[in-house]
Amino acid sequence: MDWTFEKVAGPFEGPTGGLAWDGSGMLFSAITEGRILRYEPASGNVTEFRKHTNRTNGLAFAPEGALYGCQESSRRVIHFADDGSSATTAFLLDGRYHNQPNNLAIDLQGRIWFSDPWSELRASGPQIFAALEHASVLRLELDSFRKLWSIRRMTYDTVAPRAVALSPDESTLYVAETDNSPFGRRELRAYPILPDNTLGPHTVLHTFGRDYRGEHRGIEGMCTDSEGNIVACAGWRKSGPGPLVCVFSPGGAIIESHRVPFDQPVNCAFGDADLGSLYVTTAGGELYRVRNCGRQGRVLPTAKSSRRAQ
Amino acid sequence: MLELDRVTPAFARLVSADAPLDRIYHGLSFGEGPLWNRRDGTFLWVDIVGDTIHRWKPGVGAEVFIRPSNKANGLTFDKEGRLCVAGWASRSVWRVEPDGSVTTLASHYQGKRINSPNDIVVRSDGSIYFTDSPGALYNVGMAAEDLQQYLDFQGVFRISPDGARLDAVIADTVYPNGLAFTPDESVLYVNDTRLGEIRAYDMRPDGSCGPKRLFHKLAGSEPGIADGMKVDREGNVYCTGPGGIHVIGSDGELLGRIRIPDHCTNMAWGDPDWRSLYITTYSSVFRTRVNVPGVPVW
Repeated sequence: MDWTFEKVAGPFEGPTGGLAWDGSGMLFSAITEGRILRYEPASGNVTEFRKHTNRTNGLAFAPEGALYGCQESSRRVIHFADDGSSATTAFLLDGRYHNQPNNLAIDLQGRIWFSDPWSELRASGPQIFAALEHASVLRLELDSFRKLWSIRRMTYDTVAPRAVALSPDESTLYVAETDNSPFGRRELRAYPILPDNTLGPHTVLHTFGRDYRGEHRGIEGMCTDSEGNIVACAGWRKSGPGPLVCVFSPGGAIIESHRVPFDQPVNCAFGDADLGSLYVTTAGGELYRVRNCGRQGRVLPTAKSSRRAQ
Repeated sequence: MLELDRVTPAFARLVSADAPLDRIYHGLSFGEGPLWNRRDGTFLWVDIVGDTIHRWKPGVGAEVFIRPSNKANGLTFDKEGRLCVAGWASRSVWRVEPDGSVTTLASHYQGKRINSPNDIVVRSDGSIYFTDSPGALYNVGMAAEDLQQYLDFQGVFRISPDGARLDAVIADTVYPNGLAFTPDESVLYVNDTRLGEIRAYDMRPDGSCGPKRLFHKLAGSEPGIADGMKVDREGNVYCTGPGGIHVIGSDGELLGRIRIPDHCTNMAWGDPDWRSLYITTYSSVFRTRVNVPGVPVW
């Protein structure tokens, strides 16, 4: 079916990034502006949800309703509390500061899976803590008794992890390995999550190509729908088939592909009352919506709201 | 021996190349907050990332003075000799009382939590001025407990002598850092790390600041930024910058640079004649001698 992309907010300065549906509104990051904004479909209003976020990108709600964000410029995943304060989770992996977290997915146990790529942009403050020698998917885990977060390294074969998503049964972690530089690797991967808390060898579900105009832009952001398909933002006008939102089956078949009326879609999430609309952020700093997209978001069982979605 | 970059002949009168550069402490994660205590002849400084206030006595050595320090940053004394602290991660200005207890002097402005106090100076009327950059909210490795910035400006605050009022005296800085008065206290210098400049603000009788004047733009390609800043008794300004310490005349012209072999963060006058310059860097504390004494600390 054809999708109609309707611009509902923006443009803002710099790209818009991560999104999270809060039950009645769509939160989305205006990364460069250092703000999280909220689009409310009932009124059509865009309001400021949080400011001074220091390049926070990926956003997600935990099962109990807590909001987390990837604060790229401070190299940490932070918790945006309901009272307006914010607090860091763990930021050390084996005693060293990790890189600049980009995207996250939170499982039903509240564990936060996040991509931790290197960035060309400087993080805040004195440059006294070197980046890690690897760029991996990491996982934050809360020791609920001691209220302490710790970080575990999950991938050992990535160099440019960007988007992360979980299958609805949480047996598979999808990772977009996205290096858009010449001859960089751009793949959609599926890693089985093993009972011993590690990841098995990955299957490559899709590889992005290149042509005489250059590399085809890989996946920047993605989410899964209620059937377990992967909805991914990729492509650009510069080369290949152009900017697209693609739907991959869990096995990697492209079952839908939609050309978008703007360059470089960044990330996407389902929203609206039926979770039947897809919202897409853009490199141009906008928020678009596709109503009745024919797919539905995953409803997360949360204590506070049954309608929050990733 | 000091490595000097002489820009004008006047520099030679202030700093001599044969002055020593002694490393009196090393092994810090992020040295800052240098302060000479004239009452007991000791030198204090902080390690922000290491969460400690250190104390050193010439001829005796160093000890831990306060740990944990809630990532204390700038230090000074008030006129009664009580230690006043720019509480970086505590997001407050706090004072150590004679019995060792701690009093919070400032933490909120107009009902909102301030950013993260960076450096601090006490004026002769007992008022306290401090810069309120947001580094503890954003900088890697220096995190406060609550990371949310509530104020929409990063400025300079004044605590009234009776402690009853907190006023924003400067609100047009981006990342205010070092601050110091001229010897006659008629002008407040504030440097801005983000803009790489030193500004001069004329003081008004009520302790507020007049409009900004650009005093000096820092130059240089070496590592180093506008951070700590102090003034000598002739009104020359010593400011950290690319390559080390930039010495600037009261007319705003660069006289020369003292090269420091590590990323320099701040400096303080010290020793009984106030002619020693104690210098903090990321990892170390250095001491050298200069020819014109500095403005004493209470």
